[in-house]
Amino acid sequence: MSVNEPVSDLSEAELRAMTADLDAMHHDLTLPALKDSLAEWTDDIRAQGDAGHDADAARQLLFDRRRFLTRAAGTAGGIAGVGLLAACTSSSSSSSSSTAAASATATSSSAATGGTGAMVDGEGQSLSGDLQVVAMAASLENSGIATYMAGIKAATAGKLGTVPPAVVTFAETAMAQHQDHQKAWNAVLSAAGKKPVTAVDPVIQPTINAAFAKVTTVTGLAELALLVENTAGETYQNGLSVIKSAAGIKTAASIQPVEFQHAAILYFVLGKYPVPNAFTGVSLARPPSDYKV
Amino acid sequence: MEIDETAFGGLIEESRDTHADALRAAREPLADLVDLGRQTRAGSGPDPDESRAFAVENRRRLGAIARRAGGLLAATGVIAAIADYIGSPAFASSGTDVQVLQTASSIEVLAVSTYKTALGLPYIGGSSANKVIKAFATTTMGQHADHLAAFQSATTSLGGTKQDKPDPAFVPVVDKAVTAITKASDSAGALLVVGLALELENIAAETYVNNMSLLTDANAKKVTASIMGVEAQHVAILLAVQALLKAGASAAITLPPPAAKLPAAAGSVGFPNAFYATSNAAPASQGALS
Repeated sequence: MSVNEPVSDLSEAELRAMTADLDAMHHDLTLPALKDSLAEWTDDIRAQGDAGHDADAARQLLFDRRRFLTRAAGTAGGIAGVGLLAACTSSSSSSSSSTAAASATATSSSAATGGTGAMVDGEGQSLSGDLQVVAMAASLENSGIATYMAGIKAATAGKLGTVPPAVVTFAETAMAQHQDHQKAWNAVLSAAGKKPVTAVDPVIQPTINAAFAKVTTVTGLAELALLVENTAGETYQNGLSVIKSAAGIKTAASIQPVEFQHAAILYFVLGKYPVPNAFTGVSLARPPSDYKV
Repeated sequence: MEIDETAFGGLIEESRDTHADALRAAREPLADLVDLGRQTRAGSGPDPDESRAFAVENRRRLGAIARRAGGLLAATGVIAAIADYIGSPAFASSGTDVQVLQTASSIEVLAVSTYKTALGLPYIGGSSANKVIKAFATTTMGQHADHLAAFQSATTSLGGTKQDKPDPAFVPVVDKAVTAITKASDSAGALLVVGLALELENIAAETYVNNMSLLTDANAKKVTASIMGVEAQHVAILLAVQALLKAGASAAITLPPPAAKLPAAAGSVGFPNAFYATSNAAPASQGALS
């Protein structure tokens, strides 16, 4: 075939069949492992608290590992635990829960203007150690979700010109995966007796907002998404050197490569070489201090 | 849409510049490892408890690999031999981190040699090859060579011997695949090559993700963390290329791709999971030296 002809042989059905096989493996193997890691991380954080590393967390960790999912499922906004697993089962679907994205969008404007108060949307909690890293990661995911949600909204409103269907699928799937990541991070906070963070990253969000205001094309949106994805990937890479718990490292390590996969596809779509570096860096990494203590 | 060779060359060049910056980022933890290696060699050797726990984890993963591989690996006796090796005194004498890094090196050795073999095929590395696939195979081979050098450097910095042989458990699998590739038609061969590369890249990515919670040295972790995302990116691109090849749409493998002409599902084929799995990770000492 010629590249000037539609890719008629590449049917939706064939592609969906391919991804269905991968989805099945994801549900059978990856999610149970993730659940174990999150529960183990909760135990580790409790042990840190018991050892005096986080006295506040120790006071609030009044439940055991078996109650992890039950407790997490009952948090405000329905973000975590059982909700996490339910949402993860639809990670490749564009119909994933929009709770987090709506929340992120709702808070993005206040973050841009600096109008965030203590304990609003999970901000302002007294966190340290792994929990501070987790809170910062959750806020960064919220910024990613808000970016994709705003992009999809602009595209739907016709503000970005003609948007290829494959690009729409990319944005919806990447956003859904960021929602899954956010739920994973917040599940740890909830299990530790903390409030889930549904606010955007207060430091990077103004930059994102300013850049988004200038986006008028799909290419411009892809460039912004690329910055967000690389920032997330590099932040988690840096977090792997900061997180103390082995289970926490497992969780962060399972998320970092996915953000870089999003970046690779964005590079490709933009006509840039898709794997530009033999080593990923940390120059864009957000520090744990992005989360306001 | 034709590939602009000059522009493509420029992109590769630009990529190399950025790559040089990233290399500098990788050198820092490697330099720290040199210092730690000196301290380790002056110390008392590996922690026995750590080694025992490590061996248990390895036996569990070896069992999983044997089940997945079915008869092929069992027939070669590779699994049994490695299981014996893991239980041997020689195994216990080397530090956990060194074994993990040696295994990582062995995977990179195999990746480099596999891409080199693939580039010898006219439809991958010859004049008739798709330009994007050829450039990807060439650049990816170079990136794996960089990864190999980094893992080997980290190994020697921790007082170990660098591994420059391929992972013994995966060699028969690759050999069998290469035999099938050489007998296949160009189009079928290209699909088999991509499938083999995809399998190796995914094993590498999953192994390094898994290694993050096994490694104890902070700088060994940093080096591994800076590589695992790159292998995952290789996976993403290969999944997309594989989908186009399976659909007989190899002409759509261009940079950039003809996004407007692709079906909606093509947008997510490269990143099927929100969380990276480790079920296909190689046992961490599988490629370790005695």
